[in-house]
Amino acid sequence: MSVKEELLKRLSDGVVNMEEDDVAEAAQEYLEAGYPAFDGIMKGLIDGMNRAGQLYEEEEYFVTDVLLCSDAMYAGLDVLRPCLPDEEDKAKRKGVIGVVEGDTHDIGKNLVKIMMETAGFDMIDLGRDVPLQKFVDTAREEGAELICMSTLMTTTMGGMETVIHLLEENGLRDKVKVMIGGGPISQRYADKIGADGYSQNAVEAVKLAKRLLDIA
Amino acid sequence: MKGYGKISCKKGNLLSVLLKEGIYVENPCSGTGICGKCKVRILAGECSPVTETERRLLKPEEIRAGIRLSCMTEIDGDIEYETLQRERRARVLTRGYMPEFERDVFQGGYGVVIDIGTTTVVMALIELASGEERGAVSMINAQKYFGLDVLTRITYEYEHPETGMRRLQEAVVQSVNAMMREVCREAGCERAGIRQITVAANCTMMHMLLGVDARSIGRSPYNPAFLEAKSIPAGEIGIEAGKDTMLYCLPQVSAYIGADIVAGAYVCELQRTKGNILFIDIGTNGEIVLACGGRLLCCSCAAGPALEGMNISSGMRAEEGAVEDVRITEQGIELTTIDDKEPAGICGSGILAVVKELLRTGIVKKTGVFIKKEKLAETDYRCPMIRLNGSKREFLLHEDPPLVVTQGDVRQVQLAKGALLSGFTVLLEKAGITTNDLDKVMIAGQFGAHLPADSLTGTGILPEDVKEKLVYVGNSSKTGAYMALMSKAVRHEMEELADKMEYVELAETDNYERIFTESMIFPEF
Repeated sequence: MSVKEELLKRLSDGVVNMEEDDVAEAAQEYLEAGYPAFDGIMKGLIDGMNRAGQLYEEEEYFVTDVLLCSDAMYAGLDVLRPCLPDEEDKAKRKGVIGVVEGDTHDIGKNLVKIMMETAGFDMIDLGRDVPLQKFVDTAREEGAELICMSTLMTTTMGGMETVIHLLEENGLRDKVKVMIGGGPISQRYADKIGADGYSQNAVEAVKLAKRLLDIA
Repeated sequence: MKGYGKISCKKGNLLSVLLKEGIYVENPCSGTGICGKCKVRILAGECSPVTETERRLLKPEEIRAGIRLSCMTEIDGDIEYETLQRERRARVLTRGYMPEFERDVFQGGYGVVIDIGTTTVVMALIELASGEERGAVSMINAQKYFGLDVLTRITYEYEHPETGMRRLQEAVVQSVNAMMREVCREAGCERAGIRQITVAANCTMMHMLLGVDARSIGRSPYNPAFLEAKSIPAGEIGIEAGKDTMLYCLPQVSAYIGADIVAGAYVCELQRTKGNILFIDIGTNGEIVLACGGRLLCCSCAAGPALEGMNISSGMRAEEGAVEDVRITEQGIELTTIDDKEPAGICGSGILAVVKELLRTGIVKKTGVFIKKEKLAETDYRCPMIRLNGSKREFLLHEDPPLVVTQGDVRQVQLAKGALLSGFTVLLEKAGITTNDLDKVMIAGQFGAHLPADSLTGTGILPEDVKEKLVYVGNSSKTGAYMALMSKAVRHEMEELADKMEYVELAETDNYERIFTESMIFPEF
């Protein structure tokens, strides 16, 4: 294994094993050895995060584990990203994500955001307790193709339907795909309110987003 | 009993039709196809085809036996069905610890104390002259038809803005009236002889009892319509007692720290302690109050229903036949069930006991994942206990009837544990103390009373070093209502206490996600 391959493996394993400090250190060594930041991100950090996602899907990892993996990934990104050439990013597909108005539970949403970013989406995170109109306005201003909404509470899930109506009223419904998720949400509910898709967890959300946007 | 019946309906959803007919089918997720509990067997008649959701949530043999999830089944015409849940005798805790206090109510006649829980309503009839309990009764909250948890019931108010509030109020008031008839019969007294009623309840139940709009409790910023103590003529809300019977509702602190918790904190004398005392009421919502250096900090943790045996694949409430304790040894698995009946499912204390044992024996690792079967020697005693369901590992607790604990079940417990421990950690951090500084940890509530210290610390809901500091105080909500019945000074002190309690919103605490994540790690043995 070459030195570069060894460092990439260390980055990837570091993410899978949730070793935040070692990932930051390995990223530094990787740069000092003169290797391109882009490969370090894609073949090291993102590779590790994808493996973590795989483990999550196999029920080997849980929310907690994936969040800790992502801490390690972001620690590496903080080191590598400043050294990326400028031209990247423009090809990224954009999505808006947030927890609907009235709800402040955002751990699930954060997890979806992490996995979407790992998969190469540019996610605009509106946070939690997001006013419904803001989803629509942001999607329009940013030219986003996706709106991802979540909620943990039955009392606030109705907001998702409102967002879909607002998209229609603003003439944006055919430009934006709507994905929903969260504790009380189900496929049936997605069908009922006319959302484009429902996903049960963060890994499925990525697959769903790719399917909805015809990304191979 | 299992129920057989026949219904007919022109085009409708089976669950809605059954509920409308007053036939109770358990539906914790309110018919959204998530929980898989609303099983009904179709004996005859035409139904919509089996859905994907049902294939996921039901076992193939169940589908072959004609079992459907009623929420996913559409009917059109006559149907013969069998409901599969048996009404079981539930175990309800009505007593507990009470400090000494000076009574200042001396009158004839009777008083009634009520603790309205989301699941269970508990009532006692008190002879005012002696202060003695003359009758006690508990009943499932009749609001269960509107959903099992507070949010679902609040959602009902959102969905039925015209009638929701009134129907929820009628349901609970009817429960109260029926129970009052019962206790009066038991004591051989007239309802007209009741002078005073005192009520402790969570904030949502209190709103619904008084017929006050509870909708704002269900949405951020979670502002209830009222928090203060109330004293009103009982007849005003339809309670059938004496002509001048007054109803006193204990004060509340916030949407998720209700009068039941104020009562509990008062009973545990948090308002006058010089030491550091932590009070915790464990349930679907775990409420924690910490008395420290003259301050009273409190928070509420969304633990979810796993600890009450819900959202667990073989879960059930603490009723007869529920597995409540488990021991795993090299010789096999020993189960204890409520009333020593044939095991029918696993209740909250049972699921915690199982998880504690799985951790102790290394079958589940501290990250919450099952050990890989191939990592065990074939002769290992644990090997036959782990079963593969496709690629997923599960723990075989009992062969026939089959009871398993899945990876998903362990995760549900882990979420609950993470929520509770994170609340505990945040309050201690805010107060600037460590676990060592705690003098006592008071465990309150119906559910907590059945949790041995081993389970609480063995699953890491609470840290190992508080084990020797645990004190079980029982139904402190009802005890608080009793004290308020017998003393006006107590009512006054409770109102002061409620004012003093500082509510901490966990979700808005700095670094909460990190604390929650760390709180999810199980202890290592």
